[in-house]
Amino acid sequence: MTTSTFVAGRGFLYIFDARAKLFTVLLLCVMVFLPIRQTGLWTLVAASFLSAWYATDFKQALQPIKTILFVLVIMILFTPLTYRDGEVLVRLGQFPLATKEALVNLNILVARFLGITYICTLYMWTTPMADINLALRWYGLSYHAALVLTLAFRFVPYIADSFRMIQDSHALRNATVSDGERTGRHRLADLMPTVTAALVVALKSIPHLAMSLEHRGLGRETKRTSYRRLVAKGGLFTHLLLSVMIPTVFWLVFNTL
Amino acid sequence: MKSTDSSKMTALRIALMAVLTATVVVFTLMVRVPTPIKGYISLCDVVITFSAFLFGPWIAAIAGGLGTGIADLIGGYAQWAPLSFVIHGAQGLLIAVIARSGLASGVPGDANILKLILAGVVGMVVMAGGYYIAGGVLYGFEAALVEIPLNLLQSGVGVVLGIAVSRAVLKAYPPVRSLSL
Repeated sequence: MTTSTFVAGRGFLYIFDARAKLFTVLLLCVMVFLPIRQTGLWTLVAASFLSAWYATDFKQALQPIKTILFVLVIMILFTPLTYRDGEVLVRLGQFPLATKEALVNLNILVARFLGITYICTLYMWTTPMADINLALRWYGLSYHAALVLTLAFRFVPYIADSFRMIQDSHALRNATVSDGERTGRHRLADLMPTVTAALVVALKSIPHLAMSLEHRGLGRETKRTSYRRLVAKGGLFTHLLLSVMIPTVFWLVFNTL
Repeated sequence: MKSTDSSKMTALRIALMAVLTATVVVFTLMVRVPTPIKGYISLCDVVITFSAFLFGPWIAAIAGGLGTGIADLIGGYAQWAPLSFVIHGAQGLLIAVIARSGLASGVPGDANILKLILAGVVGMVVMAGGYYIAGGVLYGFEAALVEIPLNLLQSGVGVVLGIAVSRAVLKAYPPVRSLSL
């Protein structure tokens, strides 16, 4: 199982400091909930999409839309039906199918959801997980919390492999039933012993991990060393200034001009 | 270099949180049960309920919140990660608090089955309600209504399997009691 969300690419987003970028993400996510013009929201969506396209490629840039497509369809189907007031645009007999207000509301909701999705996804694509961890540490995340996060990422492939092996072993117990004949009932019957065994394997690794952590010096009062530091090219202040300027300029352009 | 007495507890607590978080991630992304409407429900709630019944509120809250948050990040739903962290964290915390209430000794999983079910039902309401509110804020309360039945189904399966698996693990691996903090 691959746990990395980083996508190698090009452009400013890869140079932008992880701490400053995180602050920009936060500001932009707050901004989409403030009263901003619809053109502003869609410009933000377009800018995020174009940034994703430039940083990676077109196919990769479409990926976030694919993941939220189901929710988008639900939104388009259900949101207009619940707004009855206002100027009726489409009517089925006496029943108003879509009003102007409903479409305006749907437009804002879709743009907002797409905007947040692209902003968050772009951060994950353009920032290595180790840098995200260091950025969170810079914002005050404790050493122990950062350690839990790092260890969890290390353990995911191990537990995933163990689970797959246990699953295969249990499937062999029903070797007379071929893969094509295996129904939902067979899979469900396998689930309970597989889940129990997988949890026991995971639990058995806990005392070993705890001992390893003690041997590596966890709990000692001396300050921890770090092999990696975040370096902002051009100075952190410049990056932080940019992180505030980007949302502010965007806000001013679309709400005052 | 001094080693404090609490360092063993700290190491064990960190190991517990890390391994259970990773388990929640794996169960969210890898273990999926097909539903009649050609969809899937994940089994993350099984591990959250299991953690709550065996390891108490804080471990369950961190493992549940962090695990589902990481799964959202890896699975391409980064926008949901902070919300999942809060919702599943609260779910694990409340399940454990209710299961543990009035228990003099042992793990919360030893409690009366009715109390475990009650704790699970509260967890279901927190999960489905939390995602409804979060979905409502993100993409409208009308569209978010559609997800309530699926979320209730997923957390319901989580509670049933969580209770069964907790009992099974306590029998299959008794040393698990010594890991409970």
